[in-house]
Amino acid sequence: MLRRTVNEFLAIGLCAFASLASAQNEIAVGYQLPLTGDNSQYGTLFKNSADMALEQFNASGKLPGTKVVIKYEDSKSDAKEGVNIARKFSDDAHILGVIGDFNSTVSMAAGQIYAEQHVPQLSQSASHPDFLKISDWQFRNITTMAVESPFIAKWMAQNNLKHYAVIGIQNDWGQSSVKNFSEEAATLGNEVVDTEFFNPGNRDFRSILTKVARSKPDAIVLFMFYEEAASFLQQRAQMNVQTVVYGGSPLYEPKLLQLAGPAANGLMMPSTFVAQSADASVKAYVEGYRQRYGSEPSMFAAQAYDATNIMLDAIVAAGPEPTRAKVRDALAATHDYPGVTGVTTFDPITREVTKQLNRMIVSDGAYKVIQ
Amino acid sequence: MMETDFLIQQLINGISIGLVYALMAIGFTLIFGVLNVVNFAHGEIYMLGAFVGLLLITTFAPPLFVVIIFVLAFGAVMGLALDRVAFRPFRRFRDEASMKSKAIREATLLSSLALSIVIREGVEKIFGSNMQVVPQDYLLISPVQIGSFSFASGQFLIFGLSMAMLVGLQLLLFKTHIGRSIRAVASNPAGAMYVGIHTENVIMATFAVGSMLGASAGIVVGLYQGAVFPAMGFAPGIKAFVAMVMGGLHSIPGAVICALILGIAETFTTSYLAQGWGDLVAYAFLLLTLIFFPTGIFGAARERV
Repeated sequence: MLRRTVNEFLAIGLCAFASLASAQNEIAVGYQLPLTGDNSQYGTLFKNSADMALEQFNASGKLPGTKVVIKYEDSKSDAKEGVNIARKFSDDAHILGVIGDFNSTVSMAAGQIYAEQHVPQLSQSASHPDFLKISDWQFRNITTMAVESPFIAKWMAQNNLKHYAVIGIQNDWGQSSVKNFSEEAATLGNEVVDTEFFNPGNRDFRSILTKVARSKPDAIVLFMFYEEAASFLQQRAQMNVQTVVYGGSPLYEPKLLQLAGPAANGLMMPSTFVAQSADASVKAYVEGYRQRYGSEPSMFAAQAYDATNIMLDAIVAAGPEPTRAKVRDALAATHDYPGVTGVTTFDPITREVTKQLNRMIVSDGAYKVIQ
Repeated sequence: MMETDFLIQQLINGISIGLVYALMAIGFTLIFGVLNVVNFAHGEIYMLGAFVGLLLITTFAPPLFVVIIFVLAFGAVMGLALDRVAFRPFRRFRDEASMKSKAIREATLLSSLALSIVIREGVEKIFGSNMQVVPQDYLLISPVQIGSFSFASGQFLIFGLSMAMLVGLQLLLFKTHIGRSIRAVASNPAGAMYVGIHTENVIMATFAVGSMLGASAGIVVGLYQGAVFPAMGFAPGIKAFVAMVMGGLHSIPGAVICALILGIAETFTTSYLAQGWGDLVAYAFLLLTLIFFPTGIFGAARERV
C-alpha cells in the first residue's frame, strides 16, 4: 500500500517535471466552469467533452511541435469566483483564450474582466442577450433565447395554440427567455394568459400548476432546466393537468427522461444537437463520448465539444505566432463551422451565432425529431 | 364555487408544503430545545436519509416500510456520530462557567455547519450534484382524486408521519423516564447533572431520536418530490429554522404550526403574486413575529421541548 502511494507520488512528480520541461512551447486555453456546487453536473459534461476534443486535437497534428493544454478552474456557478478566475486567467501568459462560464450571470461577471484585459472569451452556454454587448472580446456558441424563444412561439402558433401559460426560473436567463417569448407571441397575435416565475431550487410546482390550470391555457411553456422540469412534469401528471407542454432547449437532456419517466411523454422543445442524427461527425462524437463516459452526450455536452473545437481551430488560424488579439480575430471570422450542434457562423458585426434548430418531441420515453 | 375550489386546492398544496417543513422542524427543534444550539447538520442528516433509502431501494427493492425502518436505524447511528464529531468535543469542560459559555455554544454552531458542508460536498463528489433517478414504482406521487381536489399519495404519508412524530414525541417526552430526563436536561443541564441524571446519555439519546426523525423525513420527502440530490436539505432546513424561531425556539407543536403557516403563506403568495415572492413573504412573517412576539408565537410557556 505504502509503496504504491510512493510510486504514485513519483509518477505525479515526473509528470509535473515533464510539463515544466515542455512549458516553453505550451499554449493554454482557460476553461472556467462549475465543477462543484449546484451546477456541477453541467461543468462535468463540459469537461468530458473538452478533454475529448483536446485529445483529438493534439493527436491530429494541426499544430506541429506545440502541445495545447486546457486549464480548468472551478467557478462553483458563483459570480465572485468567476471574477477571481478571470483575473487569474488574464495574468497567465500561456492562456490565449478562455471558454466558459456555464450560466449567463457568471459569464457576464467574468466577461467584464476579459473585456478589460483583452482576453477572448467563448461561452458554450451563456445565452443572455447582454453577454455579447460587454465588448468585442465575447463570443458564444449557443443560439440565444432571442432566437430560440421566438422559434418556440412561432412553432406553437403554427400548431394553432393561442393562449399560453409561461413558467420561468427567476434568473437572468429565465427572465430574458420569457420576455422574448411573450413579445413574439404578442406579435403573432396570440396571448400569454399567465406568467409565473419561481425561485431557483423550488421543487414543488403544485400551487403554480393549480394557478395555471385556472387560467385555462392552450399550452404551457417551460423556461427552466431539466431537473425542475422533471419535478414539474411529474406533478402535472399527478394533478391531472392535460395541457400540452413546450420547453426551451435545456430540456433536451436524456437524464430528464429517466427522472420524469412516463410523465415526460408529449413534451416538445427545440434543439440544435440531436444525438440520433445521421450526420457522420455527430455519430462519431456520440460514439466516442459513450465509449469514454458510458452515457449519451446531452445538448450541453455537445455545445462544449464544439466550443472547444472552435477555440482550438481559432488558435491554429491565429498561428504561427498566436496572440490573444489574433485569436479574437480568428474567432470572429468563424464561418460555416461544421460542428456537432449544426453548422455554426458568428455574425461579423454582432458576433451573434446562427444555427439550425430542430423540433423535438418526447414520445414513448425517447426524444424524436419532428420531421 | 370555482374560486372556492381554487382556494381549497391551494390550501391543500400549502399544507403539504408546510408539512414538509414541519417534518424537518420537529427533529431540529428537539435538538435545539435540549442543547440550546443550532444543529446546522440536520439538513444533511435529512439528505443522507434520502440517499441511503434510495440506495437501498435501487439495490434490494424492499417494500417501503422496510426502507423507512432501515432509514430510521441509519438516522439513529448518524445522530450519534454527529454528536461525537461536532458536539461532544465541546462538552469536555464540565464546570459551570463553560456550560453557560456563549463562546462554546457558538463554536458548536460552527462545527455543525462545518460538518454539514463536509457531508454535502462529500456526497456531491461521490454522486454528483444532480438529482438521482428514483424508480417510478417508489415515487409517492400517485394521484388521489377526492371530489374536485387532487392529492398525491405521498401527502397522506407525510401527514401521517408528521402526526405520528408529533404525538410520539409528546408521549416520549411526557410519559417515559427518558423523556423526563430529556426535559430535565433541557431546562437545566447543570441541575440535571447534580440530581444524578446521566446528561451525556440523555444528549446522545436526543441526537439519536432527532436524527431518526430527520433521516426518515428525508427519504419520504425525497420520494414525494421525486428529488434526491446533495443540496436537498438546504431550503427546507432554512424554513424549518424559521418555523422554529417563529414557534418560540423550544416548542415542537409551535414549530409545526408555524411550518404550516409558512407553507400556506407560500402557496397564497404564488396564487396572488408569484412563487418568486414566496421567500420574501416567509421572512416578512418571521420579522413580524419577532417584532410583535419577541419570544415567538408559542414561546411564552416555561416548559421547554
